[in-house]
Amino acid sequence: METTRRHFFSRTSTGIGIAALGSLFARDGLADGVANGLPGLPHFPPTAKRVVFLHQSGGPSQMDLFDYKPALEKFAGAELPDSIRMGQRITGMTSGQTSLPVARSIFKFQQHGQSRAWVSELMPHTAKIVDDLTFIKTMNTDAINHDPAITFIQSGSQQPGRPSMGAWASYGLGSENRNLPAFVVMLSQAQALNPDQPLFSRLWGSGFLPSNHQGVRFRAGSNPVLYLHNPEGVDPETRRDMLDAAGKLNRLHLDQFGDPEIETRITQYEMAFRMQTSVPDLLDLSKEPQSTFDLYGADSRRPGTYAANCLLARRLLERDVRFVQLYHRGWDQHNDLPRDLALQCKGTDQASAALVTDLKQRGLLDDTLVVWGGEFGRTVYCQGKLTGTNYGRDHHPRCFTMWMAGGGVKKGFTFGETDDYCYNVVANPVHVHDLQATILRCLGVDHLKLTYKFQGRHFRLTDVHGNVVKEILA
Amino acid sequence: MVSSTEGNLVVRLFLVATAIGVCAGAEKPVDFNRDIRPVLSDNCFTCHGPDDKHRMANLRLDTEDGLFKVVAPGDPAKSRLYARISAAPPSRMPPAQTGATLTGAQIELFRKWIEQGAKWERHWSFAPPVRPALPSVRNEKWARNAIDRFVLARLEREGLAPSLEADRATLLRRLSFDLTGLPPASAEVDAFLADKSANAYEKQVDRMLALPQYGERMAMQWLDLARYADTHGFHIDSQRDMWKWRDWVIDAFNRNLPFDRFGIEQLAGDLLPNATARQKLASGFNRNHMINFEGGAIPEEYQVEYVADRVDTTANVFMGLTMGCARCHDHKFDPISQKDYYRFFAFFNTIAEKGLDGSKGNAAPILEMPTEEQASQAAWLQQAIAEHEAAIPEKETKPLLAAWQKTRLAALPKPATDGLLAEYVSESILPGRTVKGKPTFTAGRPGQAIAFNGEAQIEFPGFASERFAVAFWLRSGALGEMTVLEGGPGFDIGIEDSHPQPDFKRGSPLYVEFRGRRWHSDAILYGAQWHHVALNFEDGKPALLLDGKPVRMEDVGASGAIPAAPLTIGDPHRDKPLKGDVGGLRIYDRSLTTADAEALALYEPIRYILAQEESKRSKEQNARLLDYFLTYDAPADVRRVYGELNALKARTAQLKKDVASVQVMAEMAKPRDTFILARGDYRNHTGKVTPAVPAVFPPLPKDAPANRLSLAQWLFSQQHPLTARVAVNRYWQLYFGIGLVKTTEDFGSQGDAPIQRDLLDWLATEFQTHWDVKAMQRLIVTSATYRQTSQVTAELLEKDPENRLLARGPRFRLPAEMVRDNALAASGLLQKTIGGPSVYPYQPAGLWEELARGETFTAQEYHESAGADLYRRSMYTFWKRTVPPPTLTTFDAPDREKCTSRRLITNTPLQALVLLNDPTYVEASRALAQRTLQEAGRDPQARIRYLFREATARRPTASEARILLDLAQRRLEHYKQHPEMAAKLIAIGASKAGNVEAVELAAWTMVASTVLNLDETITKE
Repeated sequence: METTRRHFFSRTSTGIGIAALGSLFARDGLADGVANGLPGLPHFPPTAKRVVFLHQSGGPSQMDLFDYKPALEKFAGAELPDSIRMGQRITGMTSGQTSLPVARSIFKFQQHGQSRAWVSELMPHTAKIVDDLTFIKTMNTDAINHDPAITFIQSGSQQPGRPSMGAWASYGLGSENRNLPAFVVMLSQAQALNPDQPLFSRLWGSGFLPSNHQGVRFRAGSNPVLYLHNPEGVDPETRRDMLDAAGKLNRLHLDQFGDPEIETRITQYEMAFRMQTSVPDLLDLSKEPQSTFDLYGADSRRPGTYAANCLLARRLLERDVRFVQLYHRGWDQHNDLPRDLALQCKGTDQASAALVTDLKQRGLLDDTLVVWGGEFGRTVYCQGKLTGTNYGRDHHPRCFTMWMAGGGVKKGFTFGETDDYCYNVVANPVHVHDLQATILRCLGVDHLKLTYKFQGRHFRLTDVHGNVVKEILA
Repeated sequence: MVSSTEGNLVVRLFLVATAIGVCAGAEKPVDFNRDIRPVLSDNCFTCHGPDDKHRMANLRLDTEDGLFKVVAPGDPAKSRLYARISAAPPSRMPPAQTGATLTGAQIELFRKWIEQGAKWERHWSFAPPVRPALPSVRNEKWARNAIDRFVLARLEREGLAPSLEADRATLLRRLSFDLTGLPPASAEVDAFLADKSANAYEKQVDRMLALPQYGERMAMQWLDLARYADTHGFHIDSQRDMWKWRDWVIDAFNRNLPFDRFGIEQLAGDLLPNATARQKLASGFNRNHMINFEGGAIPEEYQVEYVADRVDTTANVFMGLTMGCARCHDHKFDPISQKDYYRFFAFFNTIAEKGLDGSKGNAAPILEMPTEEQASQAAWLQQAIAEHEAAIPEKETKPLLAAWQKTRLAALPKPATDGLLAEYVSESILPGRTVKGKPTFTAGRPGQAIAFNGEAQIEFPGFASERFAVAFWLRSGALGEMTVLEGGPGFDIGIEDSHPQPDFKRGSPLYVEFRGRRWHSDAILYGAQWHHVALNFEDGKPALLLDGKPVRMEDVGASGAIPAAPLTIGDPHRDKPLKGDVGGLRIYDRSLTTADAEALALYEPIRYILAQEESKRSKEQNARLLDYFLTYDAPADVRRVYGELNALKARTAQLKKDVASVQVMAEMAKPRDTFILARGDYRNHTGKVTPAVPAVFPPLPKDAPANRLSLAQWLFSQQHPLTARVAVNRYWQLYFGIGLVKTTEDFGSQGDAPIQRDLLDWLATEFQTHWDVKAMQRLIVTSATYRQTSQVTAELLEKDPENRLLARGPRFRLPAEMVRDNALAASGLLQKTIGGPSVYPYQPAGLWEELARGETFTAQEYHESAGADLYRRSMYTFWKRTVPPPTLTTFDAPDREKCTSRRLITNTPLQALVLLNDPTYVEASRALAQRTLQEAGRDPQARIRYLFREATARRPTASEARILLDLAQRRLEHYKQHPEMAAKLIAIGASKAGNVEAVELAAWTMVASTVLNLDETITKE
């Protein structure tokens, strides 16, 4: 039965009459409200019904934000000892440097909340919510450059071709909202002045899964979903009239050809028509009180900003969209870190914290998992010229900080420990595959069992690795 | 969403699985390859299969010897295999923690198989196909060719009957999409309907096979397999040019290049004896993989990925093998060891390529493909340049230059001092100034310049003047908008956001804000290049002399007022930081003349050089001096020759850019060694290996060198078990939507068993006698099997929902490209030009830019095509891998990152939105409506018939026509009430509405849109 079902989902261009259902949208008529995921899922009672992943693209500097290392004052300017580097490979951007001097953080750190978590002065808003967060200080990855690293954290493989995390969630669990996609993606642009890194649509792609599991981008501007709006000169009445005519013609054809694919087509057109209302409703912020904009910051009134995307994320999660993925560009501080990192934080800190606060006050944080972080961390040694006030940092895969909130993770908790150089993990490493296994676990999914057979192999998000980090689960 | 259908479906699929052979009935013998091996493979081989290093309990079940250690034929009770799979936990196999489980039905099959004597067979696809005899059938009349005999024999066994032949219009439309990718024109349908000859259909087949669109259609499938794209795919994802290779594929299909030559030339065309340019071009096949040049990436890591991609693609396309599984360890399911993998890898590892490449276009090795005209032009230019250089030899120009240098300094016009308010000579600029940050000095113009790093600023006393001029040298180093100079009487002078220019350089206009207005220069200032800027401020507006020449400034609108302030180089507000070098700043209280500006831009840098002792001049300065001399001051005939020489060099450079090139295969002079890489990681070299084919297959011929060419020829030997089978199976998929082996990419142990192995093997043996591609297509489409109607009864749907047995014709949604091409064809907008560089049809603004890196790279900004290129076939749409064409991917086109041999088909609301609202389809609807109004006369009935037929190839029924007529009537009334809406609707698209009445056209546009949105319209049925 399982195989049959899977084959059905992976149906090729068969010409058979039944829709490739997938879960771009939930089906009608399920009285119990259960989503159209795979049979047997979730494997466990989920602690999170939804996930919002706030991806900070480029690799935020852990030792300038959350992983406080007072010992760096002592090491500042000195060469990174071989005993710390241990011959680890570094990127082509600094492998040619004759010197790898330690750059201390010029930012001030303080402890906050009852959990006494250290946070740098660049994140004053996040500092206020530390008692809701689990910090993972020991995230680590296999990749040392952007393309493979960001592909890895989103799909579990450094090389392209695998489905993204949101696509897996959509495939396995389906949607809980009949009028919105199960997997929504939003982008925002850098504040940093140095050029930022590109993104790729494969990061929210469906890989070898059917394409209806790929993330649907919501964009700022007049057509938030591609081709959502009727063309100029076509009013809703005209649209309704032509859809009715098309529906009747499709039905006549169905009677003659008997192919249920036609019936699906009819349903999809109705769904499209409903989206033309449900998406603008979602994006209409006119009924949000001033207090909302105060919470997220003034930028939240400007479509396309990170703050506006965080606010929309809350509205999507309220509507039970399964997986919301934000990308914020610009965290790649190879040089001018003090200036650019401050700009990045100024553009995001308030809204990230606001999202957690907002979900909490609406009672949504209990079953929504919020994840914040980039694809890798940054080196303790300086890239380029080190001065008292300026420095840059290269990519660092061996440790970086992410935080999570809600959805079954501990509150006011810090997991994992790095060394005094913020270079190596000392205790409790969390690999990218472990993070992925843990996110799936919160969704009630056993990462070993959510598989898809492609080219003879049963693929999964965590490849052949991954352990759930039970210690961070509440 | 169709929950009821879905519920039934699962039941139905289960029934069909039972019905067509996954479960054998009580009397039916259990077939090892069909019923047992797949279950063993999927559930047991991971621990008890080919992988030597990870085998458990020293037990392997993938070989005959291994399996019969635990199977006692005829006696399930004595078979340990059966005991363990039927045992209670914890002895039960497979263990629970593996996630694998056997169903009760599967366990029962094992019992029966053992009971029936446990007949073992080699995995079917590793033995060469043997031509089976044609089966006998009861309904001999129905069978038109061999295919039908096999299909019908099976149907008769299953108690099914074939369907009737499809009606002619439907059949022609099906055939036309299948052989040309386009719908038939109405005249072609008419001709077919009128042709009463017995071979009317075959005539249509032959007509279509001879059309150039046949090659395009066949290429569409090949481009997915070859992961063809117009960008490199990783990270910045800039442009490459592989379209010459794409056109080779189209042409190869059209000249019916036999499949063995088609394959050999693509895998190893470069190694053929006396390889022609066309054969070398073909080898671009295995250069279509993604290529990286991310700063900081490690070359070897990616060079290994490129080779791995060639291995995966070659194995998938030609052998239906998942070789990639053996990269990190022995294959878990198929008899391919890790060593086999790296020996195969070695064939593709000696290409003269770099690990990181492609930032400026194609990545080496490159084949230049000049046209004949370009080639002769290049030869002529080369000779002309040599002649010109010989005419002004250094031994003659050198003494002239030496003499000139002695006298020239005194004669050079000096910069005007009349009205000079201030002159900030670079070296002496800093003392006494307010300096922020740390400006540094650099060689510049006229002599030293100051380098600004984004933070430094220098403040000078302000000045107030109604009329004044500002002059300075600038070399910009920034990408974003930046302020160069601000303050004084209240101006902000800087440069705009930069954009890539056609020659890969980055450039941007100069801007000036002054008294509440903003101006942009018409000319571009290039990044990293020195420019002299002289700005006159008179009558409240700026006038520009750029590099000594007047350039228009365009008033682009209001801006904020800039207050009078101290003059600052660098941005005092720090929101548009200055990155770049500035030199020779001068302020005048009058306007500069062109002669003044020329003196500053042209003579001043030369004066600076001449003023230095000869021994202290840099090489670059000497070169500039010579250039100046030969351009301006040398004897007239020398100046003329030098001018011509420069023009010839510029033409050569331009020609080089114009010549199309393509990435191809070419061997390194000294081949790279290949090692087995532990865990597939480029860092873990273990044993060194030499090229060889996997041990499970027949070896290369003894006398053949172990190179790519031998490998390619080996694939097409008559003994190869896979090549022909895999190829014909993919053709089958093209027509019937699903291959005889469903997993077209996997003929190994984990792949699906063929639904009709005898048919597959017959087709394979037929194909490999001459590898005649067109003949194979003709054979399939002339079969009675292909010609059946696709109408289906509930009963048949239940028995065979996927139509594997083919008791009816194929029916499925068109591939993405054809969805659009059909609309363009029906509307008359389609442009049938074949080949050439890729094109840029409508795409929502910003899709690339939002994700892109930008800077000096190509394919970062989408510039829509104009005119005919908006309406080319979708296979020519520029394919940017990181942002593939959105409307094509919505209809399940792959991203072309990897080899794709099957596209999944989905049915989603986003597809509805594309067809309803994408301007492509709105414009096509309007054009179709316009054709209808112009061609079909006044009678609404006739119009409906015309329009409907253009889109679907058939006439509407009376009830269908009624629905559309009523719609037309209501929309006409509506647009009469709202003519402004009609005007807006018909204005959509780049083509212009013709001479038809707007309200009527708008109403019929909606009718056309309705028809273009029908399921039938986007379906091959």
